[in-house]
Amino acid sequence: MSEGRISGTESNAGGAPSGALERALGDLRALSEDIESCSVLSPAGDLQYSSHGPGVERARVAAMLGALVGLARRSARKEGKDLASQVRVRTEAGHLLMVGLEGGGTLVATTAPEARVGLVLYDMRNARVEIKKATGEVG
Amino acid sequence: MKRLFRGLLLVGALAGAVVMVKSYLQRTDSPGEEAVRIVFDDGATRSLASNTVEGQEFTDIAHKVLEIGV
Repeated sequence: MSEGRISGTESNAGGAPSGALERALGDLRALSEDIESCSVLSPAGDLQYSSHGPGVERARVAAMLGALVGLARRSARKEGKDLASQVRVRTEAGHLLMVGLEGGGTLVATTAPEARVGLVLYDMRNARVEIKKATGEVG
Repeated sequence: MKRLFRGLLLVGALAGAVVMVKSYLQRTDSPGEEAVRIVFDDGATRSLASNTVEGQEFTDIAHKVLEIGV
């Protein structure tokens, strides 16, 4: 099985999530209660799913996540690697976690500062198969 | 009076020393603080401290994302 990778180039809002994708992410959130919000970016940087409500913020979220994916790619190039498969950012407000999906998409989640980040990342990695199936339906 | 002045001088010197040691320890603690950990596709990892430019770029955006949620 090939490893999921964080890629993507630009971001924009768009694309209604499929029921399967919503279910897959709903299952992930039910399993990993430390997750406060989550989203899925397509390989092209489109926001395929966001737990955030629709509206202006959606485009803003897509742009910011696209920027983070870009930083991860730049860091990989700097190290002479192909791509990053997982990123964990710790701030005073909490953790931002990114896991690469097969095919080039990215699964993003946020948690509180005291969350068990290792467990959340484990659940995110395990959810990739279901998310891949679901995004296949979207595409 | 002379003894009181000496006592005050000693207390002041001690307080100053405590402040200096505290600020030194705070300054030496921060550089090692890890803010970002990246795992690459070959399993290698890279850690970025919060006081580096690259680490700061990640944390600045992540902080904004955390404020509004994804």
